[in-house]
Amino acid sequence: MSDTDDTNETRTDGGEPATDGGETGIVAPDDETPTWQERKTRKSGLSQLTYEYFERARREDQELREESDYVERDVLGFPTWPHEIIRNGAISLFFVGMILLISAALPPSLELPANPSSTPSIILPDWYLYWSFGLLKLNPLNPGLAVLDGSKLISDQLYGVLANVVVVGAVAFLPFLNKGSARRPVEQPFWAAIGAGGAFFAITIAAIAVQNLIPLPLALQLNIAFIGPVVLGVMTYALLKTLREGYMYGLNRRYYMLRPPK
Amino acid sequence: MADEFIKGFGILTGAGLLWMTLAGWYQTPSFFMTNQLIAPPPEPGNVFDAISIFLIDVFLWTALLGAFAFWILIPAGKELAAAIEERGESS
Repeated sequence: MSDTDDTNETRTDGGEPATDGGETGIVAPDDETPTWQERKTRKSGLSQLTYEYFERARREDQELREESDYVERDVLGFPTWPHEIIRNGAISLFFVGMILLISAALPPSLELPANPSSTPSIILPDWYLYWSFGLLKLNPLNPGLAVLDGSKLISDQLYGVLANVVVVGAVAFLPFLNKGSARRPVEQPFWAAIGAGGAFFAITIAAIAVQNLIPLPLALQLNIAFIGPVVLGVMTYALLKTLREGYMYGLNRRYYMLRPPK
Repeated sequence: MADEFIKGFGILTGAGLLWMTLAGWYQTPSFFMTNQLIAPPPEPGNVFDAISIFLIDVFLWTALLGAFAFWILIPAGKELAAAIEERGESS
């Protein structure tokens, strides 16, 4: 570190954060702002890294602007009236028109009203509880034991309840394993893969609850329900690991850690 | 890129809406069966039915191939052209 570096202190975060919306965020260049030429002359260590990083970002932005055929305007936002209101009104009218059009063109047949005195053949909870109901229907997976002469160790009902305990327990235990400090999935590909697989499992296990309505054999449905999420998780992990390279993950992470604490 | 997306999306949704409507008229014996929109169509009684039943497959393939063309074929072709051009410049 020489003396000139002390007087020209590098600011990595752009100064005071403007989070109140009162400022435009556009700062005119002044005498204290180092020019690109000055940044370029710093040839060592982090300052050089800073220059390369921002110069690459600036150059990519410039190339994108030159490639684009959109007209650039010096406008930061549009007033609510009339611009936003007219746009939102057009979008709302479009969707109202689509609802009217589809309901006129495709009137669904109204069946007889439900008979409250007879139990339907398929009993289902509300749709957001299908996952739990699907876990209760895992009796094909309840293994029979040879030492017990092929009979099952625990009843199918208890097996389904234990499956619920396992899933709910895993979800409850998750915050102790990962605090959720990642700001985007590429930062923690493993946990992102766990999340993607879990979200997909919530859908596939919900399909088990309505297995009667799905025109697939039950064995195939169970395979999809349990192997599908694993496959999706592996694909997510591989994709995010690949994305790290183009995303300059290591450099971004260093800049994230450079920021001063609040 | 964004233009290609909205072109493909417009074709997919527009032709898909027309396919869904016509298939709902001719290929849906009941809304409470799993074969709705894909059941075999009935024998056309008049010329309008015949045209409509013919257009079902036309709109379905327009939706699928339109999206495929604008989302995959045309961008891939542009990438290929750019790669060939770049290779020509560098050599």
